[in-house]
Amino acid sequence: MADSNGNGNGKRPRTAVQAGGVEAALRGSALYEVLKGIDFERRQLVGKSPGVGLLDLTEKPGGGYNCYACTLCERVCPVDAIELEYCPEFPEQPFDAEAARAAALAAGPGESCGAASACVMGEKPAFVQVPVDMRLLDPVIAGIRSGSGLIEAMHATQEAYGYLPRVALEAIADEMHLDFSRVYGVASFYSQFRLKPVGKYVIDVCMGTACHVAGAPLVLEAFSQELEIPVGDTTADGLFTLQTVNCVGACALAPVVRLGSDETFGRMGPSEARRLVRRLRKQEQEATR
Amino acid sequence: MTPVNPIIEARQTAIAAGKGAYLADDSRREIRICAGTACHASGRVALKKAVDAALAERGLAKKVAVIETGCHGFCEQGPIMVLRPQGIFYPRVQPKDVAEIVDTSVVGDGIVERLLYKDPATGRPVAAEREIPFYALQTRIVLGLNGKIDPFSLDDYLAHGGYTALTKVLAERDPSGVIDQVERSGLRGRGGAGFPTGRKWRTSRANPGDVHYIICNADEGDPGAFMDRSVLEGNPHSVIEGMIIAAYAIGADNGPVAGYVYVRHEYPFAVERLRAALDQARERGLLGTNILGSGFDFDIRINQGAGAFVCGESTALTASIEGLRGMPRGKHIRTAAHGLWGQPTNLNNVESYANVPWIINHGAEAFTAVGTDTSKGTKIFSLTGKVVNGGLIEVPMGTTLRKVIFDIGGGMLPGRSFKAVQLGGPSGGCLPSSLLDEPIDFESLLAAGSMMGSGGMVVVDDSTCMVDFAKFFLKFTAEESCGKCVPCRVGSTRMLEILERISAGEATVDDIDLLAELADDVAEGSLCALGGSAPNPVLSTLRYFKDEVMAHVLEHRCPAGVCRPLIRYTIDEKACTGCRACVSACPSAAITGERKQPHILDQALCIKCDACRQACRYDAVRVESGALAPAGRRRK
Repeated sequence: MADSNGNGNGKRPRTAVQAGGVEAALRGSALYEVLKGIDFERRQLVGKSPGVGLLDLTEKPGGGYNCYACTLCERVCPVDAIELEYCPEFPEQPFDAEAARAAALAAGPGESCGAASACVMGEKPAFVQVPVDMRLLDPVIAGIRSGSGLIEAMHATQEAYGYLPRVALEAIADEMHLDFSRVYGVASFYSQFRLKPVGKYVIDVCMGTACHVAGAPLVLEAFSQELEIPVGDTTADGLFTLQTVNCVGACALAPVVRLGSDETFGRMGPSEARRLVRRLRKQEQEATR
Repeated sequence: MTPVNPIIEARQTAIAAGKGAYLADDSRREIRICAGTACHASGRVALKKAVDAALAERGLAKKVAVIETGCHGFCEQGPIMVLRPQGIFYPRVQPKDVAEIVDTSVVGDGIVERLLYKDPATGRPVAAEREIPFYALQTRIVLGLNGKIDPFSLDDYLAHGGYTALTKVLAERDPSGVIDQVERSGLRGRGGAGFPTGRKWRTSRANPGDVHYIICNADEGDPGAFMDRSVLEGNPHSVIEGMIIAAYAIGADNGPVAGYVYVRHEYPFAVERLRAALDQARERGLLGTNILGSGFDFDIRINQGAGAFVCGESTALTASIEGLRGMPRGKHIRTAAHGLWGQPTNLNNVESYANVPWIINHGAEAFTAVGTDTSKGTKIFSLTGKVVNGGLIEVPMGTTLRKVIFDIGGGMLPGRSFKAVQLGGPSGGCLPSSLLDEPIDFESLLAAGSMMGSGGMVVVDDSTCMVDFAKFFLKFTAEESCGKCVPCRVGSTRMLEILERISAGEATVDDIDLLAELADDVAEGSLCALGGSAPNPVLSTLRYFKDEVMAHVLEHRCPAGVCRPLIRYTIDEKACTGCRACVSACPSAAITGERKQPHILDQALCIKCDACRQACRYDAVRVESGALAPAGRRRK
C-alpha cells in the first residue's frame, strides 16, 4: 500500500513478532491457559527472518509484497505480538473491525490479506461465500426448542443446506446458549460434517477393509485424477465433490462407490471410475445445451 | 402364575390388533426379497417393481405377499429372492427372469433350474435355502428371523414369537432374577471386549443415580463389519425387546430408566427401520408409560453419530450424546457408575441385546449348551475379502477359522491361495494359515494376537501385501485418533511413517525394532482402547509375516506386488496380442503400439494405476518387483 501510494521514502508496514515466538509472548497470560493445546509450530509460517522474529511478509513472484497493509493482523493478535511500523506521512487509521472482518471473509481463501495467518485459531475464512437462506434453519431451531441435541441439530442443518454454513452454526450457538467455538469444535471433530458447500454429485469412495484389499485406493486415485481435485474437494464448476467413507457395509461388492445418497456402484476399477465421471459430465453438457 | 395374566393378555391383544394376517400359515405364498444394503446396491428396487408388476398382471397382487426382508447374509449372491412355503432360493435375480419365476414357482409348483444357486463344489443346483452349504453350516440364534420377517411389521415379529420374552419378564416381576439368568447364560459383550453382560447389568443396577441409562451401541465403525447394521435392518424389534428387558432388570425397582440407541449416520436404512419399529412399539404399548400394563415406564431415543470411529468407545459415545466432541476419558470410574450425564449407564452392543430375548425364552442352560467353556452362544461375523461366499454368518463360539472360511465361505477364489485372515477390524490382528484350526473364542483369539472385535473377518490372499494391509489399518487409526492423548495421537502417526518407509523400500533394520518398541509404548500408554489396540495390526504382522516385511527392507521387494515404489508394470511381448485395450485404458498415455503388434510401456510415463492390467484379457500385463515377478497383482 505504501508503495502503491507512491511513498517511496516511507517504510513499508512490517509484520514483526517479538523474538521468542507466539508461545513465549503468550506465556503467563490468561490466554495461554486457553491456547496451550494448540500446536504453535504447526502454523505455516512463511519466510522466517531471524533478526525480526517469526512472521514476515510473503513476496509476490514479480517483486513487491502480498500484503495489502490492511492492519488487521495487528488488531486481531490476542497478545499484541504484532507491531506495525507506519511511515510518518501515513498516520494510523481509525480501525473498523467489522468492515475489516467482512473484507477478509469476502476475499476468500488464497486472496486473503494475510491477516488470516495471524489468526490464533489457524483458520482461514472458510465459511461465508454463498448467500444463506436462513428460513431453512427454522425447523432446526424448532427442533432444538423441542429438545434435540447439538449433533442432531447439525445433522438437520446439513440436510437443509448440504453443509454447515457459519451463520447457521452461529444461530444454533445462540439458540443453545453455547459459545460459537464450542459449536465449531463439534462441527470440526466429526468427519460427516462439512463446512463447505458440496457439488451437485457427491462421490463417496468406500475405504473399508474389503474395498481396500480389492483396490479402492486405485479407484480413488483415478477419480482424483479425472476430476483434477484432491480428495475432499469440489470441482471449480461446482459439479463434483470427491470424498471417502469408512465403510458402507456392502463389502461383498467391493470396491464400492456411492454417488449421492441412493446410487451405489459395486466392483469398480480405475477405468470404471473415469468412465463414470465422463458419463456424468456428458449428461450435464447435454442438459445445459 | 394365574392362567390369564393381564400382561400376557396384553401381548395377545397386540397380536390380534394385527388381525392375525401374519400368523403362521404354512400354505400362504410369500415372496421374500432381501432389502439389505448389498442387495439394494445390486438392484433390489428394480426387482421389487418387476415382481409387483408380474403379480398384478396375473391378478395375484392380493393373494401373494411380497415381503422386503432384512439381510439374508449371502450378500455375494444379491439380489436374493426366497419363495415361501417351498423355501426356494433364487440368487442374483434379474428383473427379466421374474415373470418366469412367478409362472413356474408361484403360480405353479415347479422350479426354474437354470436360475438356482449352484454349489461350486459339486456343480449341482440347490433349490432349498437351508440346503445351501453357506446356510446349512450356520447356527442362527440372533439372525434367526432375519430374512423371514418384514422389518417394518411389528405383527410379523409378534407372530414369530416376538416380545414373549418381555411378557415373561414383566409377568414374573423379578428384575434381579433376570440378571441372574443372563449371568448364568454366560453371555459376553459382543462389541469386542467380551465383558460379561450379566455382571455389567448388576453393576449398573447397584450404582445409585437419579436416572439409569440404557444405551445400545450401534456405532459400528470397524471398516468391513456390518453385523449390527444387518440386525437393526432385519429385525429391529429384537434389539428393542432386549433393551426393554435390560431396562426392566436394571431399573424397574430402582427409579426411572431411559434408553438411547447410538447409531451411525452412515446407516440410513437402519435408522429408518429402527425409528419405525420404535413408533410401532409405542403405539402398541410395548414402550412408553406402563408397558403392557405392568406399571413399568421406559422409552428409547435414537441418537445419530457423525462419522467418528472413536465414538464406539463407551465414554466417547456418551460424550457424543451429550453434544460434545467424542473424546474418551480415563476409565478408572466405569460408565456403569458414572456415564451419560453423570448417571449410572449400561452400555451394550446391538448383538448383545439381540441375544437377550432368546436367552429368556429358551433359558440360560440352552444358551450355555452352545459354544465353548468360556465363550457361550454364537457370534455373527461379516465374512469379506477374497472368499467365494462373502456375507453375514452366525456360528457357535469355538468353530474353527478353517470351517468358517473354507466350508461356509467356500474358500479362496480360483487360482489364489490363502494368506491371512484379519479379525477385529483396526484393533485386531492378522492370523496366518498355521492358525486356521484355532477355535473362535475370546481367549484363543487374544492369545493368538488378534481379537474377537465386533465381528469383522476379512480374508486376504497372496495378492495382498501385509505391509500395505497393516499400513491401511494404522492409517485408519491415526486418522480416527481423537487427539486427546499423546501416545495415540503422535505414536500412531510415527508408526505409520515407519510403515510408509518400509513400503517405499527406504526402511532400515533399526526401523523394525523402533516400530516394535513404539507399538508397545502406544499400547501401554494410550488412554482408551482405540489407542491401546491400534498397534495390534502392526504387532501381528511383525509376528507372523516378518519375512514379507524383511523382503521390503532388505531386498526392496514387495512379494505381493502392491507397494507402488517397489513395483513396475511390464508388458509380456509373447502374451500380448496387440488388441490396444490397454492403450485406451491408460490415462497417462504410457502405452503405445500398433494393432496386432506387441505394445510398449514407457516406465517414465507410467503412473502404476493398474488400469492396463485390469483391461488386458490375455494376462500380458505383468507386475514385477525385485527379482520375482508375480503373475498378476489382483483379480477383478
